[in-house]
Amino acid sequence: MSEPATITDANTPGGMLEGDLVRRARHGDLKAYDELVKRYQERIYATIYHMTSNHEDANDLAQDAFIKAFQALKSFKGGSSFYTWLYRIAVNKTINFLKTRKNKYNLSLNDLDFNAENDKDLVALISDKTPLRDASLSELQKKLNEALLRLSEPHRMVMVLHDVQGMSHEEIADIVGCNIGTVRSRLFYARQEMQGHLSEYIK
Amino acid sequence: MKESQDNFDELKRLLKLKRHEVPPPGYFNHFSDSVISRLQAGEGQKESAVERLNESAPWLASLLHIFEARPGVIGAFATCLCLLLVLGAVFTGHSDATPDGLMTYDSGVGSMPGNPITSLASSTLAAPGEASGIVASTNPVVSLQPSPSMFGQQNQLFQNASFAVGR
Repeated sequence: MSEPATITDANTPGGMLEGDLVRRARHGDLKAYDELVKRYQERIYATIYHMTSNHEDANDLAQDAFIKAFQALKSFKGGSSFYTWLYRIAVNKTINFLKTRKNKYNLSLNDLDFNAENDKDLVALISDKTPLRDASLSELQKKLNEALLRLSEPHRMVMVLHDVQGMSHEEIADIVGCNIGTVRSRLFYARQEMQGHLSEYIK
Repeated sequence: MKESQDNFDELKRLLKLKRHEVPPPGYFNHFSDSVISRLQAGEGQKESAVERLNESAPWLASLLHIFEARPGVIGAFATCLCLLLVLGAVFTGHSDATPDGLMTYDSGVGSMPGNPITSLASSTLAAPGEASGIVASTNPVVSLQPSPSMFGQQNQLFQNASFAVGR
């Protein structure tokens, strides 16, 4: 059975390739940039949100990151993909913000979607394995975010990008600007520390 | 640091919960509009001083962050700075003082003791014969004796200057 062909119009921003959109946005075409924002808004927002555990901060930072990227488009040489370059801007902005944030544990968590309650792994985690059997998913969510905030920013960033967002070590190394060995090592120590913080929910 | 040796499966399963955290419904429908309207308002052209500092001198920015986060550090830093200034002033004062007995020549005629310029001038005026020898001067430049030339021709580079003053 053949897959249905996707109809794309190369003349509309929605059907354009990333390179063309970047080229047009560089010349000030806001429609093209709007399309780029739409393509990456969810991933950029999610990364920042998981780093800050605060929806309002993530909203502001994600918008700032896109604005900053538009400003800097002229300096984008195309050495890496636009996506990696954009991520780098968002990551740097978030880390700078976290350094200055007064209240580290200012949580403003998003709601869990409907699928969370049907996730077998998560249900099993709160019903069988933990000593706190009556723990709800939202309690677990709060504990998880608090534990994440206790990690250092570089460790948290690597953990969010790898374990939450599912990026490869190579991609993370490119975004964060370090070598793969450093990514692996940070990930290991981050997991070890997280395991310590969440010991009552794990095992 | 082998990943397989440490069982992180439970943790990874727990971290899956993060993927279910979603912003309010319809949030992304207006996100790009907000960005574009901010860009149209010209906000994209402005860059804050903090951002510029973060890019141009990250070390200075992180120092400021430390000061901001821990006010006690500012106090300690200021105290150290003051201490250094005071110590610097004290040691400078010591090094400026002339040790006793170093400058002993005193012609006694209008010269200030210890001042090589006035002492040289007064010694020249008071005892011309003595000045030709300039042995008494403590000025190292003046006390240099002309060295004899290797070829027996002394000071050929110096010529007598003749001034013809026309009236």
